[in-house]
Formats: sequence, structure tokens, C-alpha cells
Amino acid sequence: MPARVSRRACLASVLAAPLRAAISAERLGLIWEGDSLRVAAPRLRFIAGPSLERLKDGASVTYFSQLSLSLDGHATVQARAIDRFVVSYDLWEATFSVAKLSGSRRSASGLSAAAAEAWCLESIGLDASRLAPERPIWVRLDLRTERPRSEETVVGESGINLTRLIEVFSRPASEAQAQWSLSTGPLRLKDIARGPRGG
Amino acid sequence: MRVWLWSAGVLWSGLAVAGEPVPPPESNVNSRYTVEAIELAREHDARISSGLRREMRRLVGSRLDPSAVEDLAREIRRELRARSVSHRVSRGGAPDRVRVAFLVSERPARFEISVPKFLYQSRQGWSAGVEATSRVGDNGFTFGLISDGDELLERFAGIQARYERRRLGSERVGLRVLIQSFHQQWNGATREAAGEGGTAAANGDALYRARQNFEPLATFDLAHPLTLSAGVSFSRLEQPLLAAGTGAANAVVTNLRYHRRFEGSGSQQQELEAGYGLRAATRALSSDYVYSRHRWHFRYTLNRGRHSLIEEVFGGRISGRAPLFERFAAGNGSVARGWDKFRVAPLGGDRLMASSLEYRYRWLQVFYDAASVWTAARVVPQKAVARHSVGVGLRQKSFCLAVAFPLKDGRSDPVFLLGMNY
Repeated sequence: MPARVSRRACLASVLAAPLRAAISAERLGLIWEGDSLRVAAPRLRFIAGPSLERLKDGASVTYFSQLSLSLDGHATVQARAIDRFVVSYDLWEATFSVAKLSGSRRSASGLSAAAAEAWCLESIGLDASRLAPERPIWVRLDLRTERPRSEETVVGESGINLTRLIEVFSRPASEAQAQWSLSTGPLRLKDIARGPRGG
Repeated sequence: MRVWLWSAGVLWSGLAVAGEPVPPPESNVNSRYTVEAIELAREHDARISSGLRREMRRLVGSRLDPSAVEDLAREIRRELRARSVSHRVSRGGAPDRVRVAFLVSERPARFEISVPKFLYQSRQGWSAGVEATSRVGDNGFTFGLISDGDELLERFAGIQARYERRRLGSERVGLRVLIQSFHQQWNGATREAAGEGGTAAANGDALYRARQNFEPLATFDLAHPLTLSAGVSFSRLEQPLLAAGTGAANAVVTNLRYHRRFEGSGSQQQELEAGYGLRAATRALSSDYVYSRHRWHFRYTLNRGRHSLIEEVFGGRISGRAPLFERFAAGNGSVARGWDKFRVAPLGGDRLMASSLEYRYRWLQVFYDAASVWTAARVVPQKAVARHSVGVGLRQKSFCLAVAFPLKDGRSDPVFLLGMNY
């Protein structure tokens, strides 16, 4: 005899689905390398969807990242590192190129999409030299694409276009910008896996 | 005042978000490839100007420059009045060659409401306009409301309607018909100087209470980027103290304009704009006022990375008896910023010489203005006195928030300016 499922349970199941997806999403991995905390997120795919379409149309896509460290469960930020990467897709070689435009500038080319993503994540780091190894920490990585430069300019030669202003504010945010957020904690520095230059 | 400052802050932050940094072109790996062809659908290609078509062809054979392609997309959108223009780069027919295709999305709603200009000046108050435009094919119909206390010696408030046709038989010829009806308000200093329209009427200084204007104008694309517009302007002035009650200022109107952008090496870009305008009122057009008004301007802009240097020089000359709306003013939102135009010359002048030097770094701007407005064609000519001012402000696109200081004898009397396209 099949088990009876109430309508309330069914509704709760539907409503809880996104929550479950968020919970099961990848946690941020950390590597202690030298005096720096580096990130690892091998399942994070950010060269995908509309960004990948723009890349395959020959455009470059800019990603902004922010790695923040907290000592009180993300309530206040103790330290943060902000970086900017430009990704482009070589139309003839069918490979990706990445350039880091902030801090120490560097670039790489001839990469697959996964390698380009890994290159960006490996370039993100926080100075952890002043952290006590026993102190609990929380770390969060926010990544977003640049807002595509809209040709539907609100402010132009003819002044402020109120019709377009209404259109812009009516548009869902997800159409304009993609963003990802991964976090981890609480964990202690001494429990984090040591990288190649770990102390 | 606090409410306006808060509104300005909100608007400013909104504009700032839109201005995220642009990556350098060399960060796109495809910029090493040569452009083989530029593609635009035939129905759209037929509607753009020959000058823009030449600009598109110029990219063929050169290395792909993403910023130049974006500039072209923007220009195509502007000329076609399209909703958006995107571009797609794809492999060409031979290795290391690419093709650029522009994709035009037409505007589904051909009705727009816009604010073409607004300004708050701490001495003159508000000036603003709002327009509604409807487009049917190549025809544009605009209706607007305006109240402007900045540009002229009068505050004119009223309505204006405009008909525009971008192509009249040929893509090189356009047509614009302007109809305006305004009521005037006069500053106390101007009223006093004009003697309430009594004796001053002989000099053309009579104060009118209303002004209507009908101005058909044809525009000719002589040789891109040189354009000529020519037409006539029929102005009717309602003067309370004249026996006839009305006066006419009917003039032939001619404007010559040159605007060109030069791409330099790296991030350097230069822009040159020059113009000359003539309004000649004559008895042949049944005008009560007979005069000729010349105005010329020159503007040079040098952009290098986040730095911009702008030099602007303009001047004007009126001969004959011209109504007050034709006379030059200094001490407004664009000429000798920081000065009070009613103290400089409450009746304006028939001669103008002015210059402005401005430096911008990202959002920050500093400027130095110098101007002189005077009257030569009178029984007792006025002396030309140079007025200087300096200012500092924040600018994002055409939106500006600035404070200007007139350089007077030991006094600092700042003027605040907040506005757009003034």
C-alpha cells in the first residue's frame, strides 16, 4: 500500500528544494601556503552560461572576486582581498586566456575552461601571517561578473531617458550579472591543509 | 536643500555603478587577429550615414580593437535609434582573421520620455525641461515643457514642439521644424537697466512678456564630419509698453558644425569640435528688428587614460538692433561659471569673448573660466571687463556637481551648480 503524502508535506518539500541545493553546494576549500590562505573550489564553474556565450562571441568577460576573513562568523570582516580577472576566448585556438589586472599583474593563455577557472582561484589569496593558529576563522569568497555595459544608455546626449530608466529598474538582476558565493568556517588555521610552501 | 543634496547623492551613486572600469583592449586575446569583414544587415546598412559606413570599413584590415567596435555599436544604435546594438566576433575565412557582425535590436516602443537638461544654480534657481518623443519611421515628433533661467537674460517658461525627419530625399539632407511658445520673467536688475521698456526700446532692450518662435531648418551633411544647417526663424515678441503690442524678429539662420574624433596611440584620444552660427534679421522677412548675430566656438579635448584636458573658446558679435533673447550673457552655467550674470551685465552684451580650461581625472574636475561681455554698439559704449573664475566638481558622463568661485577683489562668493547637459 503506497504511503500517503499530505499536501502540506508536498508543499514543504517543494519550498525546501532550493534550500537543500544551497546546503549541498560546494563549501570553500582552503590551503595554507607559506603565509597566505589560498582557496580551492574544484566544482565551482563560473565560466559558463551567459558569460561563456559572450566569450564565444569574441567578447572579454571581467570577473571581480572578494575573499574575506572573519573571526566572528561573518559578522565583521577582519581582512579582505579584492581581485579582478579578464577572461577571453581565442576564436581560432579554442582556448581561454586569463589576465589578472589587480595587484601583481600576470596572465596565462591556451587554457581549458576548467584550467582558466582554477588559475583565477589560485591567484586569490589572503595574508594569514598574523593569525593565531588556534583561533577559529570564517572565510568567504564572493565572485561576480562585471555588469555588461548596456547599449540602452539611460544618460546620453539627449539627457536622462526616463523610459529606459524604468526599463532598467524593471529588469531582473540575474539578467545583468552573475554571482557566486562560497564560505567555510569555523575552522582553525592549524587544521587547514598545508600547501607546497606550507610552514 | 538637504533633500536636493540627498537626491543628487542617490543619482550620483546610480551613475557611478554604471561606470565600472573597462579592461584594456590587449586583455582580449582576439585583439591579435585581423578584421576580415564587418557585417550589418542590409536594411540597417541602408539607414546609417555614409560617414559611419566609412568608419566601419576603416576597421577592415586592421587588428581587432574591442573598444573601437563598441564605439561603432554605440554610434549605429544612435543613428538607427535602435533599442540596442550588440556585436559578435567569429572566425574569418582564413587563419588569424575574424569577422565582426553587428546585431540590431529595433525599438518595440517608439515612445520615449526624457529630461534633456536640468540645472540648479544657487543664485538662479532651477532650470529644467522634459520631453516626450514619438517616432514613426524616419519621422520624430517631440513635445516638451521647459523652464530655463540659465541660458538667457530672461527666464523663459513654456512649451515647445519639434518635428524631425532624418532623411529628406537623400540621407545627406534632414529637416527640423521647431515651434516654441514662452512666457518671460525678468530679473530686477534687468528691469531697472532696461527702464521698463521705455527709453531702452530704441536699443532693442525692451522687455517682452511672451515670445513665440517658428523655425524650419534643413540640415546638410556636406562632407562628414562637416554639417551645415540653414533655415529661417520667425519670432514674435509681445511687448506690453509698445503701441503696436507686438514686435517681430525674423531671421535667416545658418549653422556650420565640424566634429571629429582622432584615435591616437594607446589610450590617447583627441576630439575637435568647431562651429559657427549666424542669425541675420532683415526687413525682407518683415522683421521689426534688423541685426546680424555671429557666434563661433571651438572645443578641443585630449583624453589619455583617466585624464582629460578640455579647452574651449567661444565668442560672439551682434551688429544692429537685436532683441534681448539674442544678446550674450556671461555668468551662467556655461560661461564664466561662478559669476552672477545680472551683475556682470544685466542687459547682456553685443560682444562676447570667453574661454574655459578644464582638467578631469576620473570623476574629479577642476576648471578655470574667463569671459568678457560688453556692449560696443551704443551711444555710450561699455568697457570690456574680463571676469575670471575657478571651480572644482564631480562629473560622471554629462551629470555634474560643482562649486565655482568668482575671482574678485579679496572676496570669495561661491556658487553651487548641480545639473546635466547645461
